This record gives sequence, C-alpha cells and structure tokens, in this order.
Amino acid sequence: MIEAYFIHLLILIGIYIILAISLQLTLGFTGLLNLGHIAFFAIGAYTAALLTLNGTPFIIALLLAGVFAMLSGFLLSLLTKKLKGDYLALATIAFTFVVYAIALNWTKLTRGPLGLPGIPKPSFFGISFSSNFSFLILTLIIVLITYLIIKKITISPFGKVLEAIRDDELATKVLGKNTFKMKGYALAISAFFAGLAGSLYAHYITFIDPSSFTLLQLIPILIIVIVGGLASLRGTIIATIVLILLPEVLRFIGIPSTILGPMRQIIYALILLLILIYKPKGFYGKVELE
Amino acid sequence: MGRWSWNKMLRIQNLKKHFGGVRAVDGCSFEVKKGEITALIGPNGSGKTTIFNLISGILKADFGEVFLNKQKITNKKIYHISNLGVSRLFQQARLFNNLTVRENLLLASNQEDTKFWKNLFFKNKIKKYKIDDLKRISKLVGIDGFQNKLARNLSYGQKRLVGIARAILNYPKVLMLDEPVAGVNPLLRKRIAKILLQLKKQGETIFLIEHDMNFTLGIADRVIVVDEGKIIAEGTPKQIKHNPKVLEAYLGE
Amino acid sequence: MSVVLQLLINSLIAGAIYALVASGFSLIYATSKFIHFAHGATIAFSAYFLYFFFSMVGLNFGFSVILAIIFAALLGFLMNIIVFKQLRKRKASGIILLIASFALMILLESLILLFFGADVKTIGYIKVVKGLEFLGAIITPLQIFIIISSFILLCLLFLFMKKTKMGKAMRAVSDNKDVAEIVGISSERIYNWAFIIGSAIAGIAGILISLEQNLSPTMGTGLMIKGFTGAIIGGIGSVPGAILGSFLLGLAENFGIWFLPSGYKDAIAFVLLFLFLLFRPNGILGIKKKGDKQ
Repeated sequence: MIEAYFIHLLILIGIYIILAISLQLTLGFTGLLNLGHIAFFAIGAYTAALLTLNGTPFIIALLLAGVFAMLSGFLLSLLTKKLKGDYLALATIAFTFVVYAIALNWTKLTRGPLGLPGIPKPSFFGISFSSNFSFLILTLIIVLITYLIIKKITISPFGKVLEAIRDDELATKVLGKNTFKMKGYALAISAFFAGLAGSLYAHYITFIDPSSFTLLQLIPILIIVIVGGLASLRGTIIATIVLILLPEVLRFIGIPSTILGPMRQIIYALILLLILIYKPKGFYGKVELE
Repeated sequence: MGRWSWNKMLRIQNLKKHFGGVRAVDGCSFEVKKGEITALIGPNGSGKTTIFNLISGILKADFGEVFLNKQKITNKKIYHISNLGVSRLFQQARLFNNLTVRENLLLASNQEDTKFWKNLFFKNKIKKYKIDDLKRISKLVGIDGFQNKLARNLSYGQKRLVGIARAILNYPKVLMLDEPVAGVNPLLRKRIAKILLQLKKQGETIFLIEHDMNFTLGIADRVIVVDEGKIIAEGTPKQIKHNPKVLEAYLGE
Repeated sequence: MSVVLQLLINSLIAGAIYALVASGFSLIYATSKFIHFAHGATIAFSAYFLYFFFSMVGLNFGFSVILAIIFAALLGFLMNIIVFKQLRKRKASGIILLIASFALMILLESLILLFFGADVKTIGYIKVVKGLEFLGAIITPLQIFIIISSFILLCLLFLFMKKTKMGKAMRAVSDNKDVAEIVGISSERIYNWAFIIGSAIAGIAGILISLEQNLSPTMGTGLMIKGFTGAIIGGIGSVPGAILGSFLLGLAENFGIWFLPSGYKDAIAFVLLFLFLLFRPNGILGIKKKGDKQ
C-alpha cells in the first residue's frame, strides 16, 4: 500500500522534473518569459492520447506528441518575435488560454469537458507497462534522456549563446548571432520535452480533460524553477523533489483531503512569495529573475 | 562622391534618421579609410552614437546608404552586418554578466561552434586555433589574469578591456568603438591607446567616437566632426584643432 | 431586430462589469506599471465578504455591502504594502511583480476555498424577477441597476482622474514617475491610493456580480481575464481605454456567440487577447512604451 503510494509520488516527481527542466531551459538559461509551458504539456497530452486511442503504438505516439508540441513551440516563437518583457509573458499566458479554449470547445476532436477516458497503458513491442512500477521505470528513462539532452545543450557553446541572449540580447546580436533563430530553438526544445511529459501524464492517469491544462497548473512548475534557482539544473531537480514531497507530509499528519488541496496551494504561494522577496536567486540559482 | 578606391573600408552616403520631429542624423556622408584610425567627434547629442547605431544595423536609416568595402549593408540585420566584419563596442561594455571572461570571449568567435544541431549530436571541442587567438588577444589587451572571473565581478576598467578584446577577436574588417576610454583612469587610457595603435600596425581599421580630445587627437589619423546631425568638418587632427567651426560647435553647446 | 437589441443589451451588461474590473486594474497598471493578477482575487473576496456579512453573520444588506467594499479596498492596500512595496524596495522588475501577484492570486483563492468550500453559493437578496420587456428584448431590474451604477462609477472615476488633485498626481506618476517625484509627489502614496481605489472598484464589481450570478472561489479569475482583455484592447495603462475596450469586448463576445456555439464565449475573449498582444499590444488608445528600437 505504502509502496504504491511512493511509486505514485515518484512518477509525479518524474513528470514534474521533465516539465521543470524544460521550462528552465527557456526561463533560466535563455531568459525567455515563456509562461505558456502548460500549453505544450496539453498539446503533448492530447496528441498522444488521441493517437493511442486510435491504435498508434505508444512509442510513436510519444514521439509525435513531442514533435507536435515542438512545432507549436516554433509557432509561438514566430508569433511573439517582436514582444519583450511583460508583453511576452502575457502573450504566452494568452496562448495557454487559447489552447485551453480549443481543448474545451473542439468537441469533435477532444470531447471537450468530457475529456478522453480509457487511454491505454503504454506497451513497447508487446511488453506492457501497465503496472505502476514499470511505468515508473519508463518515466525515469524519459527523465534521464531529458536531463542528459538538456544538460548537454546548456554546457555546449550553443547553451552559452542562450545565456548570452539572457544577459544581453542586443550585445549577442552585435556579436553576430541570429538570436531569433536561437530563441526559436530553445523554445522548440523546451516544448518538445513538455510534450513528452504530457504524453506520460496522459498515459499514467489514463484520462485527460481540459481542466488539467489551465494556467493554474503552471504554478508548481514555475515555483520549482524559481525556488530551485534559475539556470541551475541541479536546483531544479532538488526543488521538484522537495516541493512535491513537502505537502505530502501534511497528508501524514492526518489533514483531510478537502483541506489538503488548498493548503498545498497556499504553501506553494507562500514559498514563492518568500523566495521572490528574500531570496530571488533561489537556492542554487546563478541568476536573478529579471 | 568620387570614384571608388580600394582603401575605403566604410562609406556612408547621405545618411538620415529622424525621431519624431528631431533630425538626429541629417544627411551625413563620409568615408573611413582602411588601416587608419578615424575619429568621430562632436558635442553631446550631435548624432554620433546614432550614426554608429545606423551603421551596425541597430537603427533603421530613413534615407541613405552604408557600404562596407563596396558591399551595401544599409539596414541589414544586426547579426548579418556583424558577420560581414563590423565589430562594435558600446559605451557601456555590455558584457554577459553571468558568464566568465573566457566565455564572453569565446562567444565572439565565429559562428560555426554555436550551430544547434552540431552541439546536440557531437562533442563540440573548441578548435585549437581559436584558443590560441583568445590567449594571444587576452595577453595583448592584458586580461589573461582573470579569465575565469564572472563578468559581473570585474572592475570598470577590466570590463572595458574585456569588451575591447571581445570586439577584436573575430578579425573584424572595421572596429567601431563608442567612447573606449570614457571614465577610464589615465594609466588605462594610455594602455588602450597603445593597444589601438598596435592594432592599427597590424592593419586593422578603427572607427571611434570619443569625447576625450587629447586621446583622440593623439591617435587618430583622421577626424570627422559632427554637430546637430551634420558633418561640419573633416581633416587631420592638426587641422581640426584649429578649425573655427569646430571650436564654435563645442563652445556654443 | 429584437435579437440585435437583446445582444446589445447583453453586451452592455457584460461590458459594464468588465469595465469596472478593467478600470481598476488599469489604474493600478498605469501607476505601478505591472500586471496585477490578484485583482481577480479582490473581486472574489469582495463577493465572499458580502456573503459572509450578509448571509452568514446576518448584518443589514446595505451595511454589508459597504463593509465588503471597504474590506476589498483594504485587501488591495495590504497586498501593496506587504508584498509589492517590499519587492519594489529590492528593485524588482515588472515581471517579478507579475509573478508575485500571480502567487497572491493563488494564495487568496485557496484561502477562499479553504474557508468557504468549493460549492457554489448564492446571496439571496435579489429575488428572481421576471425581466422587463423593452422593444422585444428582456432586461431585469438588477441588470439595469448594474448598468447604471457602472456608468455612474466610471463617470466618477473619469472626473476623479481629470479634475482632482489626486487624480492628476496619479496621471503624473503614470506618465513619468521620476519627474513627478521631483515636483513633490510621493509615488508610494500614489501606489497605495491606486490600489485602494482600484480594489474598491473591483469590490463593487464583485458585489454586482454576486447578486446577478453565483459565487465560486474562482469567480474572480475569469472576470479578471475578461477585464484584462478589455484593458489590452482599449489600451493598457489608459483608464478610458480600458473602459472602451471592455465594452468592445462585451460586444464581440455577445455578437460572437450569435454565430458560434455559446461555449465559445470565453474563447472569443482569449483569442482577442492573444491577437491584440501579438499585433497591437498598445491597444486602440494605448500609450506607447519607450522608443521604437529593435
């Protein structure tokens, strides 16, 4: 019983790590205020779910989920090319709303508020991952892949250009870099992994509906990225583990579920506020949020 | 405008830029000759930095043309102009604060390293010649002692030097410096002057804006004076020093 | 014809509410220069305050309304003093304030959820009356009241901004904080008042809505988004712009669902928001931000 609960937590942590690390790439390393990350998560989830519900093998659905999310990342970077600061943040938030509205209203495709139930558990070449433990293994593999790829990007010269863009985009242009293209790449990769996370989520919960993909769902991810520290992958991972496990402690002291939900949000909000005021670099951060 | 000769690195032709009602640059034409140090001087607000910004592509010209070694570069994208060989140093050093000196310098080198797909799939080792260049120039400018310091922790003078090093790393065709010695102590000023002269000896073309008259008149081969968006005088430092129009422009401000 | 009239009336009602939300929000943005997401929470809190005082404690209705508005204004003021002022002291950018406001919104909504529960509540003050007929369109007395009180409030706000010393000071700070400080206007004081007034207006909006519809913990967010969209359409940072934009939004929504299924109502607002942010971020009347550099 306890074991199943821990496995569940670990899977959740895994999915959040993927989401947080991919957001970190754009927010912490490139300085892009992409608050539309949930939209990519949603696109990934719906794409994967619709594909597997129609018989597509899981691994293809997973990849296509990433690809579709990635394409929408490119699209978003194109659309927001000329926006800066506040306006960029707002436009990305609005993007989340638009994707949510599409999920809610395009009932022919997404069944709207009824959602998509009965998403099949993943299976590769006949091996089914239906047990939670095996799903955990799957999740960890994808977390590892995500981490390795994003880590490689951040330490490479390309990653340094992203950081340069964050620190001073004009100076970066003046050094001869096509910053628009680079930002596009960063956003696309970030979206790709968010899409993978979405696909994992859909196949774990086996039911998705638009309510899982609102702006509210961004909060824990944002908190993780900021509290862990901008531009620190290590901080992100540690923050994910701590922030997911922390509210669970409340569960153990016997606080009922109805109170637990809002309590968790309150704790998150307070932590975020405190960090913003007193420790804006987060715990392992290299940079302050700007 | 006369015939093209091989020694013109930059040619600016009837450049105009206005902001609302203000004519910041009002029909400027001049040349920057190859291998020379050309200075652009003028009272505050005369349009010098605007001209620089127009050449680098940071601002769009309303009228006129800019040629780099016979190639038209007017209104091209900033990074494109940079890759064609125009290197620009800003008044504020504009370093990447959260990167080390070494990382700042490496970013100046050519673009191959930063291609996305290459970085994703291959182990990207920085080519040896780049590292050698970096070492050589760091030594020349005098910043080899603190390569691993974060840019934000450098002193004002150190930041300027790193800025200069970063600007010259890519063998630019023309080096544009916006007030390279502003607010810099006399010792450092001498050193920077020495560096610039050394670069000139190596064949570099330098175009600079500077308010410090002694510095400018000391190293420039040619001086262009601008006031209220128009060129009012051109010549050797000696000629400019005694030009009544120039004195009037400065005293009248 | 009567359909068009009905839609116009519906637009007017929606626009009136949105305008109240948008104008308060715009006042805060114009002065403090950041997106105050938690404005939506102020709306919800005000409605729940009313519920608390009237339906739970049993105070007189009028008195409850006044208390609710005062508490809403107080809430806005406290948010400014406790959170935003501290951040400003540390030279926080608009983005940080935005995120902090976001966090506040979550905090406040969760508090409502905690204390009042997620179930929908009603304030049973206005009895359900049959609407009045007017040239083939229907409008209830409450709705007429909403429109009229909004207009009055917005006019008062307009006069306040134009004629009073405080209003002028606010516009000064909005245009150029540094110059305003030089002539002796304390920007911190202005921020406080902007929050107080803006939140009070939001509070009134919350009360009006709670009479017309039900209460739920997230009622503020949706309205905030609409009001915010109205402000963007009309021109953020400009209070008249926010009002204009809100009415235009009301029109777009209600005429929009003439052609589209009614579920698309919110989607219309979101798409408009997105489009304006991309192509015309300064809105129709908006103030330009800084120069036109790359």
